[in-house]
Amino acid sequence: MINFDNSATSFPKPAAVKKAVFEAMNRYGGNPGRSGHRISIETAEAVYSARAAAADFFGAEPDNVVFTQNCTHALNTAIKGTAEKGCHIIISSLEHNSVLRPVHALYRKGLCSYSVAEVSYDDKVTAENFRRLITPQTKIIACTLGSNVTGQILPYDRIAELCRKNGICFIADGAQACGVIPVRLSDGINILCTAGHKSLYGPSGTGLLITDGKYKINPIMEGGTGSASLEKEQPDFLPDSLESGTINTAGVIGLGAGIGFVKKLGMDKIYDHENRLCRIFLRETEDSGEILLYRDERINYLPIVSFNVVGLTANETAARLSDMGFALRGGLHCSGLAHTALGTVPDGTVRFSPSVFNTEKEVYALAAAVRKLAVQK
Amino acid sequence: MNKYTIAFVSVTTAMKAQIVLRANEFYATVARTPRNLASGCGYSVTVAGDVERALAVLEQHGIKYKAVMENK
Repeated sequence: MINFDNSATSFPKPAAVKKAVFEAMNRYGGNPGRSGHRISIETAEAVYSARAAAADFFGAEPDNVVFTQNCTHALNTAIKGTAEKGCHIIISSLEHNSVLRPVHALYRKGLCSYSVAEVSYDDKVTAENFRRLITPQTKIIACTLGSNVTGQILPYDRIAELCRKNGICFIADGAQACGVIPVRLSDGINILCTAGHKSLYGPSGTGLLITDGKYKINPIMEGGTGSASLEKEQPDFLPDSLESGTINTAGVIGLGAGIGFVKKLGMDKIYDHENRLCRIFLRETEDSGEILLYRDERINYLPIVSFNVVGLTANETAARLSDMGFALRGGLHCSGLAHTALGTVPDGTVRFSPSVFNTEKEVYALAAAVRKLAVQK
Repeated sequence: MNKYTIAFVSVTTAMKAQIVLRANEFYATVARTPRNLASGCGYSVTVAGDVERALAVLEQHGIKYKAVMENK
């Protein structure tokens, strides 16, 4: 089976990640930040190394790196933790449900209102669409850096500038972008949320919330932190305030190794490789009148291609490809908004998302399989 | 050589302090904060040598500490 579903979670993982997780299970078995014995202290040192690696990678202070279960957990924490009663939030028309649903839940509870800014092929128009929606009550702009459906990269530098000028907290969903394109807090992002298990090549069950510390994030979960234990109040310092309960130690240590892998290989090389695979797939399928490719030459993309085979639903295509040995995700990709914007509701698309481990030969084989499907149906 | 214990709010800050102090040629180790230094759970770094210089190094790196005591 050849995996082209790396936007859901990357597989296979680098040898360094597997080794780090194995070592964690064998050596770092203590609870970091809870005890004083050597096993706990050594585990805490290993966790700190991963925290420092993430901080260095995204241009943050280690204290401001919070380990989460996944990107959804990070986004819920960021959005619900910074929203104030009566505030207005702006999201984009390409959001994953991990942004839409927490924002919509706040709206349903009567705590905030929200608007959806339409994303255009033209970055200037997109930025203007955000700007027009800003009101004196707007406190948060929460949006993806790159769509998980089409890969379209949003003009986040322009959005960040709007936030800076208007005193708005910019919460970025970097689930698809981080590890593929260089993303730093210095881009103007106040709170960066990302998955650890996609293009950072960590194990599943890992995510990151990284803040510049400008906006206070109230915890959505309280509990044991291993600090200030006589206090009834949750600690007000990071990362403890947002890290209640025992963290996913082996996962976090694996994530640290994943970040090291990406850094060592170089994001430019990773992007070039994956982008080349996308170009091959596009070139090999674009002449068939029976394959719809959701690409626009005016737009910058992450290495993701959404497509459909005429006469088949996305899930039918994905199922047939699975039978032929290729793993791709069909359907709505937890992003009803993006598929509505794309005009692909209710069946969605099939998503081709390569990783650094895929080869050109594998992509030629996939393209041939898709062409075959388009002819046979 | 005298030893000192410097208490921090969290294990993360203690780890950060340990790295910075070791980089500045201090023998430093992380341990639980003793009760006579600070109440509640917490972590400290034990350092040997010139504690004033150690505290200056922490300040240079923006690392805040809660309390400090000489080990008897």
